[in-house]
Amino acid sequence: MKTARTTRITVYGLLLIWCLVSAFPLFWMVSASLKPPSESFAGINAFIPQDPTFANYARVAQLVPMARNFVNSVIVAGVGMAVTVFLCSLAGYAFAKFDFPGKNALFLLLLATMMVPPEAGVVPLFAIMRALGWINNLLALIVPNAATAIGIFYMRQYISSFPSEIMEQARIDGAGDFRIYWQIVLPVITPALAAWASLAFIARWNDFFWPLLFLRSKEMYTLMVSISVLPVSEGLSTPWPVIMAGTTIAVAPLVVIYLVLQSFQREGLALGAVKG
Amino acid sequence: MSSNSIWARMWKKRQIYLFISPFFILFGIFQLTPMVWSFYLSFHEWNGLGAPEFIGLGNYRFLLRDKVFHSALRNTVIYWLANSLAIIPLALILASLLNHTWLRAKRLIRTTVFLPYVTATVAVGLIFNMLFDYNSGLINSLLELIGLAPVPWLTSVQTSKLPVIFLNIWRITPWHALILFSGLQAIPHDLYEAATVDGAGALRRFFSITIPSLMPILFFSFITLTVDAFRIFTEPYILTQGGPANSSISIVQYLYINGFSIFKLGLASAVGYALTLILLIVSFGQIIAMRRESGLMEGN
Amino acid sequence: MTFALLLTSILAFSACTASVTPAPAGEEDAADAGTTGAYPPGTMTVYGYGQPQYWQQFFENYLNDHPDVAPGVSVEMVQTENEADARQKVQLSFTAGAYDELPDATASAPVSMKALADGGVLLDVTDYVEQFKDRFVPGALDQLYYKDRIYCLPKDLRPQLLFYNQEIFDQYGIDPAGMETIEGYIETGRQLKEASDGEVYLSYIDPGAFTWRYWGRRGLMPQANARIWDENGEVVIDTDPGAKLAMDTLATLNEEELLYKSAIFQPPLYDAAREGKVATFYIGAFWDEFLRKNLPDMEGKWRVMPAPIFQDLGLGGAPVVGLECLINKPDPVYADLYKTIWEAYQFDADARQTWTEQMVAEDAPYSNPISVEMLQDDFWKEPTPYYGGQSFREAEANGLNNVSQNLIVTDKDAEADTIISAEIESYVAGNQTMDEALANMGEQLRERIGTAPVD
Repeated sequence: MKTARTTRITVYGLLLIWCLVSAFPLFWMVSASLKPPSESFAGINAFIPQDPTFANYARVAQLVPMARNFVNSVIVAGVGMAVTVFLCSLAGYAFAKFDFPGKNALFLLLLATMMVPPEAGVVPLFAIMRALGWINNLLALIVPNAATAIGIFYMRQYISSFPSEIMEQARIDGAGDFRIYWQIVLPVITPALAAWASLAFIARWNDFFWPLLFLRSKEMYTLMVSISVLPVSEGLSTPWPVIMAGTTIAVAPLVVIYLVLQSFQREGLALGAVKG
Repeated sequence: MSSNSIWARMWKKRQIYLFISPFFILFGIFQLTPMVWSFYLSFHEWNGLGAPEFIGLGNYRFLLRDKVFHSALRNTVIYWLANSLAIIPLALILASLLNHTWLRAKRLIRTTVFLPYVTATVAVGLIFNMLFDYNSGLINSLLELIGLAPVPWLTSVQTSKLPVIFLNIWRITPWHALILFSGLQAIPHDLYEAATVDGAGALRRFFSITIPSLMPILFFSFITLTVDAFRIFTEPYILTQGGPANSSISIVQYLYINGFSIFKLGLASAVGYALTLILLIVSFGQIIAMRRESGLMEGN
Repeated sequence: MTFALLLTSILAFSACTASVTPAPAGEEDAADAGTTGAYPPGTMTVYGYGQPQYWQQFFENYLNDHPDVAPGVSVEMVQTENEADARQKVQLSFTAGAYDELPDATASAPVSMKALADGGVLLDVTDYVEQFKDRFVPGALDQLYYKDRIYCLPKDLRPQLLFYNQEIFDQYGIDPAGMETIEGYIETGRQLKEASDGEVYLSYIDPGAFTWRYWGRRGLMPQANARIWDENGEVVIDTDPGAKLAMDTLATLNEEELLYKSAIFQPPLYDAAREGKVATFYIGAFWDEFLRKNLPDMEGKWRVMPAPIFQDLGLGGAPVVGLECLINKPDPVYADLYKTIWEAYQFDADARQTWTEQMVAEDAPYSNPISVEMLQDDFWKEPTPYYGGQSFREAEANGLNNVSQNLIVTDKDAEADTIISAEIESYVAGNQTMDEALANMGEQLRERIGTAPVD
């Protein structure tokens, strides 16, 4: 397909503006993290540090058990992501490609659960976690979100847009439902798996509310919790540049993960290739 | 149809039930009990210690007359409308821009436009506070540069919702763009090529191929956006704390204050149920309106 | 099937564990356990907020210096988000019957302390604390009492202080001594404004909840002898002459544009201070840390004095108490160890000074002792370079010489704060007059809270 020069210029121009607007606050965050507390960083002329320093990073490392919290975050986000992507795509496949009694009712129930704000039921949820022995345990953050309504909903919508013929062919060849999912459906939906994996990983990594509720020692805290409780003291004795250093450390792995997961996003070939 | 045959049909599909069972099991353990419990609690007054005191519909009656809750409800509806109007079109434009096969530096561009969703909220809160600062904020500096008066974005009752809306659009658009982008990737290229051969312009291809093919995912985006917008919390929390004078407070923030800072847990439960009811009505309205396009409720 | 079984068993299990009532450990039992000096090896857990890792250092110092007191015991300070978060964590565990997860102690503040004490979560330490009464500075125990009992140990008592930028006063030839009274403070603001052509503001005003907290509840209200509730718990804020005086004073400062409108704790306010736009910071000893940490480049410029007082009333600022509460577990094994270390913090001059010097070296927060005896030492009068050689420690001690009573705190006051603050925010945003704000406060407090039980 030939593309007109003007189209290309317009597309690149729009994307450039989009990139600037998107990256600018993050750039500001990194720049602020390199400034000594004595340097102003609020004004328009304060984006570039005059006297860059890594002292703020050293300070965060003193305040927060960084390595340990990092490992916790990796476990919660990594394991959580893998389990979620598997269970959500499996259930999404079931809802998209099979007829079974109660299917619509169950699916509407699933949608309805998305409408309930979980914050209201914190006290019994805590009692349940306690009964399971999961207070101050990373399982409390991984298991409840192992299969989410929103993830299943997304996978169902995504998978339903694929024609069922390829599955039928495999079924005639004698493949079972799970094998069809594993060998035929999964490869076709890699863009969706990659997208959902990124979103699931980031959501778990950045979550602050539930870890703060269920985790009870700083060794068990995730990185985001440790960083987020820094600026709360009266008088804010943790200077902002130190906090910005903390958030920079916390965000950097996300950017890496996102870059890696993009290798699975191949454009435009998915269905065409299968059909062909 | 006899019940026997239903059981037989269900037994035949037992593996499919197994596929969907993890969600329902987890729902039963981690969501159902809290839901039932907070329904019970919504008729009580409780500060988290001692025995809850039964007050009938007292909490619900309080919500009906409380002006702070009314403000939270009004603000939340405004956030929802603003989000619905802005985010899906923007996300669709962004996803389409990214989907050009000839694009260079794809990974870099995609990562960069996705940064708003990645950035930690602590940092975002600080930076948007500085951007919208009345005295020295970048936005007011720009306004003054082009001869306009500075706006008290965060400090006026009239304007405090705007920064919240801007931040929300900035942060959430990449999420939906990524979802829609994954949908675009599933549209076979030969469809476009055939249309181009038939002489269809870019705009017509967009409306006759892209939109219809994307419908299931668009439907997902609409429902998710509605749910998220009605449960908006992070943005007002980190920017304005709901103020000044509750002018930017959202429903979940109202719930949070009652449940976690002043410990009126019965009232917080009632807010949760009020919100669930509103969301059920709004989103099932959407489901019915988009029934055909969504591919939902087909078959059977 | 499995699901139903699982659910039932979980419910049964949680019901079991939740229904075990704690045997409230009396103070006497705990004291007996303490005299043996033997503590089981393990971890003493303490919930804190702010920067508890520095408070932990004192505990570690103590355990290192006294290896026989509690061998095998370590201390962990868990950072929580704030007062409400610490309370939330404690009461969740307590309500769920999860006594093994409860901390041994938690930092708190009067509102949460009352709720927790009411719920039976805190150990009664009345007799223990009262034995030290005469050794503390006057007023140290005032905010500790609830229904005539004491449920927390006082950690520190910090006065209200006014911080001012000496350089600005020198530049315009204005004497900061004029700010001893609130009337003089306002007048100084006018002079600064005029002399600087509107460039210099007397102080700042936050558009959010901090204005009520610092200008109101902790600042002008107690100094004006104001009341939110009367002795029967009825709302009187809209009729009380003290409340009117306090709020009108704030209105004068605000309406004459003597206050720079900028959010507290945010970089734009630091910048304004740097640029010499804000002459004073009102109020609270915590500004010391705020200034030193965030404006290290302004060393030598700032000075400190007691909070200005209303000329006719003569009341100084109401001090802020820091509370450390012991948790009423079935077997509070470390309660006495905590008390022992707390005693060292309050009365062992060497230990306290060693720790304070560590804090100074790390540029970490610390506060003055509350023991009269310890304060005699010249160590607490040493000059502070940041204040151009003026001794901050001495100024902090002097700040307690003239204090006013804090506003009565009921367990409804966290909610009352949100209601009052909303009306002040609306005033600061220019949406209503201060008279309207006061009237609305009264109306909303009656509507939403009614009466508050005053203990």
